[in-house]
Amino acid sequence: MPRLHDKILAQRRTMSDEVRLAYEVSVAEMRAHGIGSSALRLGDRFPDIVLPNAEGDLIATGDLLRRGPVVVTFFRGIWCPYCRLMLDALVAALPEIEAAGASLIGITPETGGLALTTKRNHHAAFEVLSDVDCGLGLGCGVVFRTPDIYRRLLLKYGNDLAARHGNQAWFLPLPAVFVLDRDGIVRWRFLSVDFTEQAEPEDILAAIRALPSGAA
Amino acid sequence: MELHQVRYFVTLCRTLNFTRAAAECNVTQPALTRAIQRLEEEMGGPLLFRERSLTQLTPLGRAMLPHLEAMLTAAETARRVADEQLGRQQMSLRVGLGPAIAVARVADVVGRLIRFCPELSVQFEEAGAPALVDSMLSDMLDCALLPDDPDLPDRLHRWKLCEERCVVVLPAGHQLAARDSLSAEDLAGETLLVGERCGGFVLRLIEASAHAFTMRRCGGSWVQMLDLVAAGLGLALLPDALAIGAGLISRPLTEPQLHRSVLLTLVAGRPQGAAVAQFVKLCRARAFA
Repeated sequence: MPRLHDKILAQRRTMSDEVRLAYEVSVAEMRAHGIGSSALRLGDRFPDIVLPNAEGDLIATGDLLRRGPVVVTFFRGIWCPYCRLMLDALVAALPEIEAAGASLIGITPETGGLALTTKRNHHAAFEVLSDVDCGLGLGCGVVFRTPDIYRRLLLKYGNDLAARHGNQAWFLPLPAVFVLDRDGIVRWRFLSVDFTEQAEPEDILAAIRALPSGAA
Repeated sequence: MELHQVRYFVTLCRTLNFTRAAAECNVTQPALTRAIQRLEEEMGGPLLFRERSLTQLTPLGRAMLPHLEAMLTAAETARRVADEQLGRQQMSLRVGLGPAIAVARVADVVGRLIRFCPELSVQFEEAGAPALVDSMLSDMLDCALLPDDPDLPDRLHRWKLCEERCVVVLPAGHQLAARDSLSAEDLAGETLLVGERCGGFVLRLIEASAHAFTMRRCGGSWVQMLDLVAAGLGLALLPDALAIGAGLISRPLTEPQLHRSVLLTLVAGRPQGAAVAQFVKLCRARAFA
């Protein structure tokens, strides 16, 4: 099976000149501003949170941790083709993640039932939580304000994040994955300012398997 | 951006004084200044004018403040729920229900919130929109479901929950009950019940159509209006989401089609209890049919 990275490269090759320009300018700007430099590091404690899941119930991360290690993946929304590739790859990897004793949660800034749409579209059998107003993303240091050039591009192609998020902030999370041990401590992370890059499921699995026994 | 940068900025906006904000946040003033500068870089421009004796928000600062404040509140409420649960503190939620908006709209959300916070006490108040807005402004209500209306004050945060369409409610034995849908022309000559707390569809029908209708005024809520329909006193135009009793039926009004949006509203910038914040999150996260 092709690696997620190869699929991402193929997707990136389909960018029009207009999209490529907005993408390159945005990523350069975000790098220059040091975005992502304050994200949770190895050894940090993941914030205690309570968020609505796709089915409309409140979920506390503390309760999920009682079952074992947790993999938390932040994604931008189902309008994002790179996120969709990542979600498909995680759906395929879910049996192995669970066999390794971990559970998986996806975090989306989208509201209005889009977390449920995400689950349905991807046949995802893991929790997808709606990070309303990006509070969890802020606590994890992965939120940024969408650069103007990218915002205009999204609007032009009908991706009105204000409507999708239920606020006018245009904040988004970086692609970020945190592997938490039973105590909620970050033991592995993936983070990229380039929002087309995604964590490879194999690397996530390796990180879960590398957790000290007893933690997993 | 970082949690502490946002916290410092929100505190600074409240105090408009670097020394006082630094003291409130328990940091040195240079640390606070550096954090604000980094936030400004990320936001793409100055958030504050710094003059010798005066600190003022720039237009960008004013535009970003509500968003950063909302994000900070979202980051901090999660913890408070856990704390309040632990402390078994009394949590309460007071929800206003506007004209012809039934508790059923949010009953499922409230049920799920109670499953999470079993000690929660919930109170509903049905009234006209102006009365509910007043109650929210005077802190007698936490939030309200209201029909969309351009006259709602700017101070209210609002999120559209759903769209409702107008139906005609009539006794099951009525001659129009045989029809699948109804038009203004079908209703000409019928008596229509008009109430201030029933959704306002009759007035919109009169504006939108050339037909003449007989009208009968009816105080009270949609529940009483349904009783009057059952007693044969007239027909009601109500949103399709309401549960109507036995002996009554509803038919969509298709010509003209009348719709309304139902909004979740609350007073902007007011500190919310943890239960209220979670209620709002639950409502915003889901799709309402």
